[in-house]
Amino acid sequence: MSNIIQVKNISFKYSDQPYLFSDLSLNIEEGKWTTIIGQNGSGKSTLTRLIDGLLTLDKGKIVVDGLPVNDENINMVRNQIGIVFQNPEDQFVGATVEDDVAFGLENRQISRNVMRVKVKNSLKEVGMWDFRNRIPANLSGGQKQRVAIAGIIGLSPKIIILDEATSMLDPQGREDILGLVRKLKDEKHLTIVSITHDIDEATGADRVIVLNQGKIIKDALPEQIFSQTQFLKEIGLDIPFTEKVVEKLRKNNITVPSQYMNEEELLNWITELLSKK
Amino acid sequence: MDNGITFEKVSHIYQPNSPFSHLALNNASFKIEPGDFVAIIGHTGSGKSTLVQHINALLKPTTGQILIYNTKIQPETSNKNLKQLRHHVGMVFQFPENQLFEETVIKDIMFGPKNYGASDDEARTAAKEAMQMIGLESSLADKSPFDLSGGQRRRVAIAGVLAMKPEILVLDEPTAGLDPRGRTRLLDLITNLNQTQKVTIVLVTHQMEDVVDYAKKIIVMDNGRVIRFGNSQEIFGDPSWVKAHHLNLPRSAQFSLALKKNGVKFDRLALTIDQLADKVSNLVKH
Repeated sequence: MSNIIQVKNISFKYSDQPYLFSDLSLNIEEGKWTTIIGQNGSGKSTLTRLIDGLLTLDKGKIVVDGLPVNDENINMVRNQIGIVFQNPEDQFVGATVEDDVAFGLENRQISRNVMRVKVKNSLKEVGMWDFRNRIPANLSGGQKQRVAIAGIIGLSPKIIILDEATSMLDPQGREDILGLVRKLKDEKHLTIVSITHDIDEATGADRVIVLNQGKIIKDALPEQIFSQTQFLKEIGLDIPFTEKVVEKLRKNNITVPSQYMNEEELLNWITELLSKK
Repeated sequence: MDNGITFEKVSHIYQPNSPFSHLALNNASFKIEPGDFVAIIGHTGSGKSTLVQHINALLKPTTGQILIYNTKIQPETSNKNLKQLRHHVGMVFQFPENQLFEETVIKDIMFGPKNYGASDDEARTAAKEAMQMIGLESSLADKSPFDLSGGQRRRVAIAGVLAMKPEILVLDEPTAGLDPRGRTRLLDLITNLNQTQKVTIVLVTHQMEDVVDYAKKIIVMDNGRVIRFGNSQEIFGDPSWVKAHHLNLPRSAQFSLALKKNGVKFDRLALTIDQLADKVSNLVKH
């Protein structure tokens, strides 16, 4: 499996501040879902901006789909990356949903006929075609993110970065958007990088990287990280719902297996435990 | 008059007498007691933000009236009679950090108290206290707010409201986008203000866990109406009603329902993790 994003020995600092990253390296595998988790100020969003060339490295290099991120390649690099941000309202420009999705394509000088087809297909893929004449501002948070995603897939990127894209949504909206992204990933063989401080968003990931103060302090499978509740708490992250229940059960002197259980597994375990009585 | 919040048949129509006319708040009546901690929940667009913006008269009712902090807010109430009210009702809007504007953190936090007549010294003292309460290091006082991280900027904005020492604190999704540590810290802080200083809290949120863990009472909104006002057991104890109104159950309640489906006896749904684990532990031990 090839590495579609290669971060090689990078250093970066904001002016007047100490180095956020020094000599950080990291590879993102093509076609995988990688979640980068960390608290506010850990460097998650800065890393996104470096990958997309919105900020400039002090040292090292970043290679996206074989192209070093630099002034010369920046447009080609950005063609490969679509970013869904936290607050979609900051990104809307069109008067209607359809206009808004068209805007991104217009910017890439795609002919009008091709554009119309692409807009339609993209809105259908995210389930928002029926809303094409609506004003973006009047949509729910989840619907807004769907429109933002339509604008991105119209440009056929290889990589989608979710930069805290679900942190403004209610739990239903979050599930909904993650499900949509999972579907698109499978259909279009996309690489997904989700940046979050929400432990639940890491559930479906192939790999979880924990970032703390600009350093990778853990790089493992989700279930390997979820059960390390003490570690998660120490770095200011939440622990998964099931681990919270398990923790409290142990406090009540109930013996619970040590390995991580997801909701279904915990449900079955409790049901079985009680049925033996 | 006490400093509770009383809504009497309050309706609000945006852009009345136009083709875009929209009834956002429909005949809302309820009373929030002084010192209460009330969560407002409801689907996006159900009227939560419209409702809370009436509490400091940022919006005025189209019909009906609100009695709050010795003030009566009616459709024709003029702004000049509202200064006292706005002094005592602190509002934290969504993404309050977008409203920071001063050169330094301390100046930004001092702005509110000074605006209501505090001297430089008084405002500085209040600002320092607010910074300490919200967990901002004093070394940040002279930095530009724009050099801070998102989470820190949020805290500066909230400190600006706390420095006014409000007796009623209204927060519209204050934890959205904060990391877990920041969320817990903020919710613990407002709980502490509620318990030790009897500040009345009105919290708009999508997080049902926060509702059951922190709020004493809940207002449920749907399509501009207040459809229920009660404690968490009264609201979430009836899962089919919750579902019918497009609300989410707290995860512990969802989990209890799933256990119930598997044949585990639950006479009352567990709403919090503690309730859930205690219930299961009891069943195991007895």
